[in-house]
Amino acid sequence: MWPHLLCTAIGAWLMAAPQVLSYGEPARTNDHIVGPLLFTFGCTAMFQSVRGVRWVNVPIGAWLVAAPLFLGYRGNAMVNDIVAGFSTIILASIRGEIRQQFGGGWRILLQSRRR
Amino acid sequence: MVRDADFPPGWTYNPSSWPQRIPLVALAVVGFVMAAYLALYQVHVIPSVWEPFFGDGSVVILNSPVSRALPVSDAALGAFGYIADALAGIFGSTRRWKTMPWLVILFGIFVGPLGGVSVLLVILQPVLYDSWCTICLATAVISVVMIGPAMDEVLASLQHLQRERRAGRSVWRAFWGLPETTHQMPALARR
Repeated sequence: MWPHLLCTAIGAWLMAAPQVLSYGEPARTNDHIVGPLLFTFGCTAMFQSVRGVRWVNVPIGAWLVAAPLFLGYRGNAMVNDIVAGFSTIILASIRGEIRQQFGGGWRILLQSRRR
Repeated sequence: MVRDADFPPGWTYNPSSWPQRIPLVALAVVGFVMAAYLALYQVHVIPSVWEPFFGDGSVVILNSPVSRALPVSDAALGAFGYIADALAGIFGSTRRWKTMPWLVILFGIFVGPLGGVSVLLVILQPVLYDSWCTICLATAVISVVMIGPAMDEVLASLQHLQRERRAGRSVWRAFWGLPETTHQMPALARR
């Protein structure tokens, strides 16, 4: 649970970071879009039955690392987004403890009938 | 029958039990109160809106074209959504994942998309209007927090419907929680 709670916190931080670290466009809008998404998927992945949602945050983290290059920004914004992005990739890759069992989970819904 | 009979097969708990559902209903009620407050401001019943952090942010957001894009204001729509969440969360017994899959799935649909719309509105605040609205953010957090814990019950209902289909019974009847008809043909034709 805690890695995904941290992803949630990174998402919240990205929403505040442009103001706190005073950086402007295009990093600002990028972080204002990516932040809420990280927050949502991190928060959802905290719950055991939908832990698989954590994988959505891996490409989002990768985009944060790559965004300074693609959108062309440097300085505070670049450092912040690269650190946040790598942290997200690592944290989202950690499954965390799953104590409960869910009758095969979501995956079983996609399996065809065994004969 | 032991209490474990209420657990879905292969589960270590019952996702339809009250300890699983009451917190979600409580969150929905809190969300409703906040959304209703914002909606009352939007229709000018309340003259001003509480905004401790972002200056005139709430005023800008709550009077923005996006918030009035639909015939009802976005906060009013949110308030309806939270009512729907609360009602769909409270009705049904602790075995409803099996006895009322339609209600559980409806609950999941209310919670999921409502959460999605909340996130979208949060993204639009700074991107379009360069402002934040404290209570709007709080309602969005509530919507997002509800998504994860609501989905386990949906999963249990979907697994139940899948088992019924594999047993050759009618998914349609199982969806509505109708009893099995005695002379029903194995539902091969339904697939």
